[in-house]
Amino acid sequence: MPKHYRPAGKKKEGNAARYITRSQAVKYLQVSLSLFRKLCILKGIFPREPKKKVKGNHHTYYHTKDILFLKHEPLLEKFREMRAYEKKIKKAVSKKNRDLAERLLTRKPSYTLDMLIRERYPKFIDALRDLDDCLSMVHLFAALPAVEREKIPVNRVHNCRRLGHEWQAYIARTHKLRKTFISVKGIYYQAEIDGQKITWLTPHALQQVLPDDVDYNIMLTFLEFYEASNICIYHYFEFVFVTLQAFVNFKLYHSINVKYPPILDPWLEALAADLYALSRYFDNRASMTESTTTSFSESDVSKDQGKGPNYDESELRLAQLQQQLPSNEPGALMHLVQNAAETDEDDSETRECKTLFKDVKLFLNREVPRESLLFVIPAFGGSVSWDGEGAPFKETDQNITHQIVDRPTQGHKFLSREYVQPQWIYDCVNARILLPVEEYIVGRIPPPHLSPFVDNEAEGYVPEYAETIKRLQAAARNEVLPMPGVGKEDLDDPQNLLVEGVIDRAEAIEAATKKRKMSVLQKQYHDELKKELRSTQISTASDGNKESVSEHIDAGEDSLPDLSQISKDADSMSKIVMPRKKQKLLKAMEIGKERKQASVDRLKERKRRIEEGKKSGK
Amino acid sequence: MKVPRRSARQKNLQKDAEKEEAINLLEQKENTEEVVERSKDEETAVEEENFVESPVVSDDDDEDFSDDDGSLGESGSEDSHLSGEEDVFVSSDGEDSFDAKSDDVSGNGASGSGRDDTEHGKDDDAESDDSRTVVEESDSSEDEVDPRNTVGDVPLKWYKEEEHIGYDLAGKKIKKKERQDKLDSFLASVDDSKNWRKIYDEYNDEEVELTKEEVKVIKRLLKGKAPHADFDPYVPYVDWFSWDDSKHPLSSAPEPKRRFIPSKWESKKVVQYVRAIRKGLIKFDEKPKEEPSAYLLWGDDSSAIDRQGLAYIPAPKPKLPGHEESYNPSLEYIPTQEEINSYQLMFEEDRPKFIPKRFTSLRNVPAYEKAVNENFGRCLDLYLCPRARKKRINIDPESLKPKLPSRKDLRPYPTSCYLEYKGHKGPVVSISTESTGQWIASGSSDGTVRIWEVETGRCIKIWELGESVSHVSWNPLPERPILAVCMGEDVYLLNTGLGNAEEQKSLEELLRVETPSTPDDSDNDKTAVNWIQDDKHGGIRLKHFKTVSSVEWHLLIHLLSKKQTQRIPFKLHGLPVSTAFHPSRSAFFISTKKNIRVYDLLKQKLIKKLETGVREVSSIAIHPGGDNLIVGSKDGKLCWFDMDLSSQPYRVLNCHPKDINRVAFHRSYPLFASSSDDCTAYVFHGMVYSDLNQNPLIVPLEILRGHASENGRGVMDCKFHPRQPWLFTAGADSVIKLYCH
Repeated sequence: MPKHYRPAGKKKEGNAARYITRSQAVKYLQVSLSLFRKLCILKGIFPREPKKKVKGNHHTYYHTKDILFLKHEPLLEKFREMRAYEKKIKKAVSKKNRDLAERLLTRKPSYTLDMLIRERYPKFIDALRDLDDCLSMVHLFAALPAVEREKIPVNRVHNCRRLGHEWQAYIARTHKLRKTFISVKGIYYQAEIDGQKITWLTPHALQQVLPDDVDYNIMLTFLEFYEASNICIYHYFEFVFVTLQAFVNFKLYHSINVKYPPILDPWLEALAADLYALSRYFDNRASMTESTTTSFSESDVSKDQGKGPNYDESELRLAQLQQQLPSNEPGALMHLVQNAAETDEDDSETRECKTLFKDVKLFLNREVPRESLLFVIPAFGGSVSWDGEGAPFKETDQNITHQIVDRPTQGHKFLSREYVQPQWIYDCVNARILLPVEEYIVGRIPPPHLSPFVDNEAEGYVPEYAETIKRLQAAARNEVLPMPGVGKEDLDDPQNLLVEGVIDRAEAIEAATKKRKMSVLQKQYHDELKKELRSTQISTASDGNKESVSEHIDAGEDSLPDLSQISKDADSMSKIVMPRKKQKLLKAMEIGKERKQASVDRLKERKRRIEEGKKSGK
Repeated sequence: MKVPRRSARQKNLQKDAEKEEAINLLEQKENTEEVVERSKDEETAVEEENFVESPVVSDDDDEDFSDDDGSLGESGSEDSHLSGEEDVFVSSDGEDSFDAKSDDVSGNGASGSGRDDTEHGKDDDAESDDSRTVVEESDSSEDEVDPRNTVGDVPLKWYKEEEHIGYDLAGKKIKKKERQDKLDSFLASVDDSKNWRKIYDEYNDEEVELTKEEVKVIKRLLKGKAPHADFDPYVPYVDWFSWDDSKHPLSSAPEPKRRFIPSKWESKKVVQYVRAIRKGLIKFDEKPKEEPSAYLLWGDDSSAIDRQGLAYIPAPKPKLPGHEESYNPSLEYIPTQEEINSYQLMFEEDRPKFIPKRFTSLRNVPAYEKAVNENFGRCLDLYLCPRARKKRINIDPESLKPKLPSRKDLRPYPTSCYLEYKGHKGPVVSISTESTGQWIASGSSDGTVRIWEVETGRCIKIWELGESVSHVSWNPLPERPILAVCMGEDVYLLNTGLGNAEEQKSLEELLRVETPSTPDDSDNDKTAVNWIQDDKHGGIRLKHFKTVSSVEWHLLIHLLSKKQTQRIPFKLHGLPVSTAFHPSRSAFFISTKKNIRVYDLLKQKLIKKLETGVREVSSIAIHPGGDNLIVGSKDGKLCWFDMDLSSQPYRVLNCHPKDINRVAFHRSYPLFASSSDDCTAYVFHGMVYSDLNQNPLIVPLEILRGHASENGRGVMDCKFHPRQPWLFTAGADSVIKLYCH
């Protein structure tokens, strides 16, 4: 009798009944493997790990209930229908029935994913939780070239770009951005919405490589779902946005008929300033709702017509441009920021983020990553302009405090502003203070850019610059925020030194107390040891005969080096009596700890070597 | 080279066009014929009839060959046309002549345009007559021109290097023409105004000048038109078959009724369509409805139901980047070149996936080439990886350690070295304490046995036995201080000479052996041991046949008084390693490498078999209570057996990294110790409760160090003092140590 004999008529039980392999599932659902994959991706069904793999170790197992769940999916039926329809078209084409084929092609059945999204994410917060991958993918596809060979259509790429910009515009407008990090892979951003930390990666704005060993179909299926969910989420944000602006008259909103897919200014869009256009869109709505008194003088219109290339464009766009005019004036953005500040719903962090670049007016040179900076700076309350058409203010504006430059030298310099490298913005954002600009000045190698996602204490190694930033933050907390325009708080500044001294003193005190405690403990231990030894001595003394051949071991001398030995002994002794399971666990923990320590040690070693090299170089 | 090739192409084009033309002409004729026949009936367009008649007649000639009423010239023109056609085919084989071509072209043109342009046709007639004569002679037009090249359809590059180009009919070489100097030819070409019309014919090795007509034809061909301007490609089609009034119709059946009534099914279909249109099922000029792409999906979350079905396990979020992923990390995060090189030596899966790099400014950062791959990997993870909830243990490692009773409460126990007994020259293999605790005996591998006074460390007596001692053991009876020493195959029972005179006397009595009776028993193999008087050392020598590893004294069963040896009447599975007597009962423990067997010596049967589960047992010791047993093994494990509990160890302590040499119980204190080759001895608290429900308590108390390693051996033996909580350890460094509390 075989091992797993099941009498006829008896149902399968246990793991055999609960899990089926992938090929079984495909057969059961009567779909092709690729369609099965697609369904799994869309429905979010993943393989499970059964306790006992009945069919063997090399299979992928799905839960039977998951597969049943797929079977009852209306989408499955829809896909079948679509396949049948495709066949109809094919038949018509091959029979040269062009009429029919055309008619069929115009009304192809399509499907929507909104109910799926609703099903997968019953609550909005669930959707937010899963947004990380979604955003990374959308931003990646926004940077990919549309390639016929891999079936990446242009409109998908455009759609991704649009979605990405919409997301960024929302984040920037609501000041939800928390952390940024320029890595080799791209730029990481972290936003916090409803307590959910959402991190995404945008690739650098350069030509991306399309590798061959990637199944783009799978990626596109994922993207399809992500796009759908993104749209839904944005629409929700739209709603949230509306609710956020309590001061906005809801009726007015209806009257101006703001719809979700925002109508962008094609002129700005053409200039690849989509993000700016979006923020404009948001701003416009705010300004329109706020003041209906914005009057458009004829002269303005004429000026506009003369300036823009879109002289004979549609009325809509003209109107948009007209509306943008007020915000073209320098104070307009600030004005809006102030408006937003009126809403009291913001938490303290948002408020902090909102005011980081409050007094800073920035200008971007053309070589800096404009899209990223146009996203980050407004998100932290700064006003920004760039070199090119559609910019809100010119390079010659006297109020500009900082100019972001990424070139070896800057030829013409305005004395009234600082010329800094783009890293300054990102470091400031992560530190939440305006860092001194000396280190970031044009032509210098900027200080190391540190990841804001690392908990240095937990990691065990604190880079030097992190400490510097910490000190500066402490200084900023105690003092009034240093004026960004001045930006002269050098390390040599006496005030700064004083602050540093305070911190140092505090640290020193802390260290001293620690040391004292340690010494007390140590002393206690020594005393005990001595007592023990003395007792043995006494006992032996009572036994008589002190003139032994061998030498005594002196208690006082040996106790100090023995301390570590003793602790180690105690450690090993307690380990002896542990059950084997726990012993293994402990061992694993220790290995992990050692590994961590080893990496920290490696870093320290490298640091030491670098410093030595510097010294010898000097 | 270029010009001839082009001309060749043109020729080809021409040929094709001519073919087409010929076919068209044929068709035309057929058409005209039909027209004629129709017009006969209608009796209209008489002019047209006349007009078309002549070719029609000639056609009839061709087809029927029955009556020949047409003019000779006309039929000749037809011939010429045919020959022309033939020529075209032949010339496509490789040989073609422009003269012939031009003739043909004009001939064709004549025949094509013969209808409306008679004069032109006459001109052609003269020429076509010539051609006809040629045709009569032979089929091929090759023979038309005699000094033609006869090279055939071969690639001309074969003759590239040669002076000739092909052979004539006689087999003589046809010489190539003398090449003109390039400069001269150029000058000539500049001077010649007709130069642009000249083409070099490679096959015939001559220059050809195109006529104006030819150029025209070429121009038309280049435009994609028929070669002749007067050719009409869109002549109405005239059917050749006369349908009406045939004498013998194909079917004489009457016309069926269905030909005269409208189709029922068609009308039904029409009605269907009409209805569908009225209902709105069929729509015209309809664009797919634009549905709003987004709407408020999540209205009020409070009413939302939780996710149905199986528990959803959200995918773990991707790892957040650390400092090393920065475009400008601190210098210490960048591996040195040697480290990067060393990565190559690693296994592929161990190799770090990401090697930090440093860019001095943001503009230098390139696109990340693995961006798509990594995203794809993430996608695969999301839909292919089995997900399971795993408990991540995030506890303090200290909390894993069991709570042990404080060691202070378990005092006294040996903690530190108090005395050292030095004197042996070799590793001290075995020690034994006297039951009063005043003396210890030690045997060393240098062949000496020494007796020491415990408290002073003085060496009292030395026996030089000459062979390395493997075991020493005191008689547990204090009034008979006899020492058993085993070495090699012998066991000595030595009189230590301690104690008072009476005792000495009785001892000497006891240890005297009469003249050995071995000769009698010599043939009796069953006696394993011989009792021999050893005068030199004042004791008894027992001779074994095999190496004796250890001896044990026991109160009840030692047959010293009778000078007899009892042979263990049991079968042992494997070599015995260690033995022990039960402290109170007549039981005997003997351990092989794997198992321990307990025998009842009175009933002479096996009581119990204990499975240690260790690789190799090195020593055993029995708790003074007699129900517990510890076993030391060569893989450093210490097993505690509770014999009431089971035959499996109650607790296995993995304490020593190296072999355990000896384990020992204290006779009165709840202490036990193990000594090992790693130069340490462990002291444990091993409390056995009288309550059977309570398991024995085992607490490690102390690790005793101090011995030095020699030849890989550490502490060879350990023994407790019988009264005090002291521990003697014998080291391979020839030192005996006393540890006191």
